[in-house]
Amino acid sequence: MGSNCRIECIFFSEFHPTLGPKITFQVPEEYISRELFDTVQVYIITKPELQNKLITVTTMDKKLIGCPVCIEHKKYSRNALLFNLGFVCDAQAKTCALEPIVKKLSGYLTTLELETGFISNEESKQKLVPIMSTLLEDLNAKGACTLPIDESNTIHLKLIEQRKDPQIVQEYDVPVFTESKDHFIKSQWDLTTQQIFPYIDGFRHIQKISAEADVELNLVRIAVQNLLYYGVVTLVSIFQYSNVYCTTPKIQNLIDDKPIQEQCLAYVTKPGQKRASLRDVFQLYCGLSPGTTVRDLCSRYAQQLQRVDERKLVQFGLMKGLIRRLQKYPVKVVRDERSRPPRLYTGCHSYDEICCKTGILH
Amino acid sequence: MGKTRARPQLSNNNYSITKKMYKQTDGSVHRSGDRTSPISVILVSSGSRGNKLLFRYPFQRVPEGASSLATKQRSPYALNPTGDVLEDQDGDSRFSDIILATILATKSDMCGKKFELKIDNIRFVGHPTLLQTPHTIQVSKTDPSPKREMPTMILFSVVFALRANADPSVIGCMHNLSRRIAIALQHEERRCQYLTREAKLMLAVQDEVTAMTENENSPQSPFRQILPKCKLAWDLKEAYDSLCTTGIVRLHINNWLEVSFCLPHKIHHVGGNHIAPEALERCLKAIRPYHALLLLENEKAVLGQMPLDCSPALVRLIKTCSAVKNLQQLAQDADLALLQVFQISAHLVYWGKAIIIYPLCENNVYMLSPHASICLYSSLAEQFSQQFPGNDLPSMLAKFSLPISLSEFRNPLDAPVQEVQLIQMVVWLLQRRLLIQLHTYVCLLVPPGQDEPGPWDEEPPLVACVGGRSLSTPSALSFGSPTSSDDMTLTSPSMDNSSAELLPGTDSPLNRRMTETLLASLTEHERQAILSVPAAQNPEDLRMFARLLHYFRGHHHLEEIMYNENMRRSQLKMLFDKFRSVLVITNHEDPVISIFQSPLE
Repeated sequence: MGSNCRIECIFFSEFHPTLGPKITFQVPEEYISRELFDTVQVYIITKPELQNKLITVTTMDKKLIGCPVCIEHKKYSRNALLFNLGFVCDAQAKTCALEPIVKKLSGYLTTLELETGFISNEESKQKLVPIMSTLLEDLNAKGACTLPIDESNTIHLKLIEQRKDPQIVQEYDVPVFTESKDHFIKSQWDLTTQQIFPYIDGFRHIQKISAEADVELNLVRIAVQNLLYYGVVTLVSIFQYSNVYCTTPKIQNLIDDKPIQEQCLAYVTKPGQKRASLRDVFQLYCGLSPGTTVRDLCSRYAQQLQRVDERKLVQFGLMKGLIRRLQKYPVKVVRDERSRPPRLYTGCHSYDEICCKTGILH
Repeated sequence: MGKTRARPQLSNNNYSITKKMYKQTDGSVHRSGDRTSPISVILVSSGSRGNKLLFRYPFQRVPEGASSLATKQRSPYALNPTGDVLEDQDGDSRFSDIILATILATKSDMCGKKFELKIDNIRFVGHPTLLQTPHTIQVSKTDPSPKREMPTMILFSVVFALRANADPSVIGCMHNLSRRIAIALQHEERRCQYLTREAKLMLAVQDEVTAMTENENSPQSPFRQILPKCKLAWDLKEAYDSLCTTGIVRLHINNWLEVSFCLPHKIHHVGGNHIAPEALERCLKAIRPYHALLLLENEKAVLGQMPLDCSPALVRLIKTCSAVKNLQQLAQDADLALLQVFQISAHLVYWGKAIIIYPLCENNVYMLSPHASICLYSSLAEQFSQQFPGNDLPSMLAKFSLPISLSEFRNPLDAPVQEVQLIQMVVWLLQRRLLIQLHTYVCLLVPPGQDEPGPWDEEPPLVACVGGRSLSTPSALSFGSPTSSDDMTLTSPSMDNSSAELLPGTDSPLNRRMTETLLASLTEHERQAILSVPAAQNPEDLRMFARLLHYFRGHHHLEEIMYNENMRRSQLKMLFDKFRSVLVITNHEDPVISIFQSPLE
């Protein structure tokens, strides 16, 4: 659960027919001061144009998130019921994950009011306080909350972590699991993912997976992109002994960062052998330089490779960004009047891509 | 008008993935560009006449009146085609002027602080500023003189509307700009009531246009009429346009006060990603005297962009700097203090006028940057052919596919003119961020002993205090004399260096003790491994090794060691070779400086 979106307070505010906008309940008590509410009340109980919109206002070191609701009906004094259930967080906190919850809650309360008059009835309104306390505790502790409102209604809320958009997956990319394959619970995923799951081994590229698993190429791409979004896989490039790699500045992490060191040595050691030494592994990575193919590395560092699997070495290096692949891009430079402009040889498509697309051997 | 088939709205994730499946990667450049551009700029005020929206740019699009009638006549089952467009939900136009005035003109106790309000997917950021303190207004209320009738402005705010998913650093920058404009306006208001006058003008035009609209029933945007009449409106429009394009804003409020601002996200833009301001700050803090300043355009162009009243030190610096001169030399040639040179360089880098490189010399090794665009049809290729006729960019870049040093790159049999052109081409490539420079880094890693079980015995040596040298920028002045080319002469050792006490040549007990102290920070196993190297038998070599021990953590490259320790490249290379059984050498770009070419994710 996101540790930086702790909810400090939940408040329920409404427009009282005589007193105007006020905070009816807040949990914990007295969290929002009079001055704070006076300053922001125009954003809590709003004009009609802003209703049903998610409003977040930051002031006095606090952030208030709310969704004002207006229900119009002749039975209410002033012909309308205006209320707002909102959260208060620290001004520096990232609150994007809380927004869908606030919106959902406002929807729930609107429905409850329309069906049973939950809010306009003074007695049932008191039930809001224990509801708000439970919400506050559960969301902060577990990131999820399930609470029954009355005999027939239950509210389900969950904090969803916001992730970055995943990159586009190409047919020459190779997916590799970030954690052990055993942690993967197949039944939680969709059918396509279940079907391609056995073929993801960190060496097969998308086109190959699609051919062997008998799933259409674009479906495989979407499924892998989905896995990428949830951080279950990362993408590396196709492994060939003729590939050329070079180190990035991140290679320093192997020296500085103990956990990565441990992870690396465990990952690259050949099964059944004694653990490889850091010096050997580091030397191998540093041996990967532009101008050296993996084949050259194997012949030069045969002694270091006794206990190290070179394919896994490269895989780990790519996953953690310790090394990067040098791709070759053919560019057609000389053109005479009669030849067509190059379609693939423009410098935008790598050898890998061209080979995948056209079936030509490397 | 073509019919678009509305795609059913799946949950947010799936929809965006499907859409992105078929988008070219170039699209991401525009998307990230949008995230850093404001949606609109709004000026509001609050005063005795209530809350008013004075100006807003860009103007509202096609008036809603006509199209809303049309939609009401359609069948209620027809899907709304505009709902299909996920991308440019410019929700700003959904807010009417009145509601904006209410929510953006805040109460006076929110003044003087950052104002941030998010409504659905629009984020408003501004800096409300108080013009008069509340109690003066009360005084004027009790004053029975007829002057009381004049409307007074209590506070105002320049607000930028951004997309909700804008980076927090972008929000911070926009707030900064809002605050700067507010300070200038407040000053001008106090001096000559500039803001009140402009506000009156804007409101008068708005009233006029509203009156006209009621008569003729043809809706027009009042702000369009304000623009030619009102200098402040024009300034705000300029600011908005600059923010959306170059990211450099230069305004002259009331033709008098200058407000200048730059948005680093727009200026430092590499391969579709912007460089995070924090990375930029780190780079600026890591400038060393052996670095050089490379102007991104030619000298005349850069000087032309400087304001008329810029400091003469800046002008001198720009005129003297060159790709082969390091900052220490530059300070001497331009007759400025080194610290000042650092500050001016940092300023030029921040504003995107220059980048930091290692000065050009024969032994520099360059390679293509991972983000370099090598497309045959890119605009860079065209520019290159224009600048260097007869050469094409892809062929040139192909030469840098594998790392190549400048000495290998040049052909000594070529005419000197061609040689000069080659260097010019390399500088051109560096300016366009197409090349990165590779440096050599050294790391101490001893082979594990036979009887020792595992990696946890190879604890990284604690070298924090050996040498006690702080390599931060302001103390740069205490270092030894630098060199830009490899032509080094050994000068007297620099101060505060423990090796200063090591007298060269003699194997005195003092020297031996110093060496032992330096090696004492290592584990027993490492010390044994080092001492068992055949070269360790030579006390000179061992002493040199011990002295340089704290550089062998992989964080300092060869050139830095050369500069700090006043040593030749050949000396260092020989040392590394002698001790190669305990050292590992690697080549990669300098992570701090290379953010200009390849920002680390």
